Amino acid sequence: MSEWLESAITRAQDVNDWLAPKRANAVELLSNTNWPTRKTEAWRYTPLRSVERSNAKVITDVIGLSPVEVTGLSAIELVFVNGKYDASQLSKILPEGLSISLGQDLEGVQKAEALDVFSTIKPERHLFGLVNDALAQDVIVISVTEGVEITQPIRISSLLSQGAESHTRVQVSLAEGSRLTVIEDVQASGDTLNTAFVEYDIAKKAHLEHYRFALQTGSNVAIGGSHFNLRDHASMHSTIVAFGSDLSRLDTDIIHAGEFADAKLNAMYLLDGKELFDLHATVEHAMPNGTTEENVRCIVADHARAVFNGRIHIHRDAQKTLAELNNRNLLMSNTAEINTKPELEIYADDVRCAHGATVAQIDKQALYYLQTRGVSRSKAQVMLNFGFINELIDLMPNAALAEWIRPVIRERFAQMEVN
Amino acid sequence: MSNTKSLLTIEDLYASVEEKQILKGLSLDIKPGEVHAIMGPNGAGKSTLGYVLSGRDGYAVDDGSVTLNGEDLFEMETEERARAGLFLAFQYPVEIPGVSNLEFLKASVDAQREARGEDAITSADFLKEAKAACKQVNLPISFLKRGVNEGFSGGEKKRNELMQMLLLKPQLCILDETDSGLDIDALQVVAEGVNSQRSADRSFIVVTHYQRLLDYIKPDFVHVLSDGKIVKSGDASLAHELEAQGYAWLQKEPAEDELEG
Repeated sequence: MSEWLESAITRAQDVNDWLAPKRANAVELLSNTNWPTRKTEAWRYTPLRSVERSNAKVITDVIGLSPVEVTGLSAIELVFVNGKYDASQLSKILPEGLSISLGQDLEGVQKAEALDVFSTIKPERHLFGLVNDALAQDVIVISVTEGVEITQPIRISSLLSQGAESHTRVQVSLAEGSRLTVIEDVQASGDTLNTAFVEYDIAKKAHLEHYRFALQTGSNVAIGGSHFNLRDHASMHSTIVAFGSDLSRLDTDIIHAGEFADAKLNAMYLLDGKELFDLHATVEHAMPNGTTEENVRCIVADHARAVFNGRIHIHRDAQKTLAELNNRNLLMSNTAEINTKPELEIYADDVRCAHGATVAQIDKQALYYLQTRGVSRSKAQVMLNFGFINELIDLMPNAALAEWIRPVIRERFAQMEVN
Repeated sequence: MSNTKSLLTIEDLYASVEEKQILKGLSLDIKPGEVHAIMGPNGAGKSTLGYVLSGRDGYAVDDGSVTLNGEDLFEMETEERARAGLFLAFQYPVEIPGVSNLEFLKASVDAQREARGEDAITSADFLKEAKAACKQVNLPISFLKRGVNEGFSGGEKKRNELMQMLLLKPQLCILDETDSGLDIDALQVVAEGVNSQRSADRSFIVVTHYQRLLDYIKPDFVHVLSDGKIVKSGDASLAHELEAQGYAWLQKEPAEDELEG
């Protein structure tokens, strides 16, 4: 076991709050967990040295940080600063049918329900998910009432000052027929370590529009998860945009727990320098008639390293499942690295399933076509690489977010070209 | 024929693809303002000519020379040829999802203006020009926002090629089987677009299998390409002869010669 994990366990044992039984369970599981090595499949390409060496500390001083401005977004802002929820940044009046509370402030039945749901959607196998169970500082509980559509998006920002360690946790439940948009974002200033996990329970016929931005770069360790439980006829549309850092790891789990659920996941990542980003995306088709469409695109420059593990598991009863996983990767340098592993496990016999992963250089035909119009080869390459990602940006349902992220990615891209 | 300087001179051109000789001694001289039609059966090398002239990877020039405005074409990169005024309208235009048509058109025009030492056009002015061009080729304005050729029908792709031509204003346009896959209405739109661009200093090479297109775009010269070289040249009436006879005589000719002899 690593010193870091030992210290985490020790710290967790000092916490005594409403989550005590859940925390105790996590601590027990952690105590029996082997610290991952290169032989641990889930961490094979993502060494945890940066965690072991991290000097990040929980900072209790109040530090004023506010999330990045996104023109036209007008979101309901939920802000964690160094892991502590900053209630002053939440709008005073929330739309009808939406409730947002600190878990510890809930009472009676609501508190019992929140405790029940906690850590039931996120699978136990996530090492840092358990760390988050044990150490989460503040837990936010969000719920939408039956049949209500919340048009204003909720943005959950986790902001970290230099050297901070934070563990944030959110659980979201959408009641039958409701609709909600949630944006998860982390902004870290350097030498930080954070774990950020969110669990979503999406009831019958409800729809979740989801975004996760992992744009921390540099000397930050960012590990997190977004976990979704889809019931009958529930649907979700998720977009993940990521840059790398010393260590960035994201686990997503989509569970088709009901029939006729529909999941769309588009993930794009652009890595530069010596950055690492690792996405482990799991889809569990436990029930019949579900559909999943997953597009993951990745561009890696310089000495950066990308890891993708896309697992689709179709259980024996999940007949008539339609699942597609497409992973395309572009290498911009000889020293960049991509480790991709699509995994399909099918135990039902009447399903349609497709998966593919490609690692490629640029499309030569498209390059030639642009050149015949007078565009230089180098400019054409930039256009095509950007186009590769832009295709997925075009699929983002929220126009304000798309308009915000497009130039951010373009700038990132120009920088990758230089290196 | 006048003494005007040639725009394009192809002399005894030999070219191959994957070690297979396709062009076998092709010569052609084009003066400013002229429209030349190149006709011929499948496999004669019609499309290869466009690819060789534009410098596509994998198309090797084995012998011969080509000059554009007196400059050695083969000394230039593909993009330099475009900037020097060469334009190839593709038979099968490439789809580029993720790159919007407008961005693509602007990048092309910007690159060519820059090469000519002209000031960059503002986005607003360019948008105006692009919308006008869109209208002229009968494509909805929304096509400017879509990915380059992405999900366009065959006819829409051809009209998009034409739109690029209108905006780039090249000196030499090579239309590679622009009529293939077009219905008569689309054919007329394309032909009108081409005709509107005919001028004393702009030339065209119209590559086609069928005479039909030449009813709408009247050529000054018609050449028959067979087995990698031009075997017959004439005026517009040659196209009608070909229409009546087909291309079978090309293969039979030597045999007939023997009979006559």
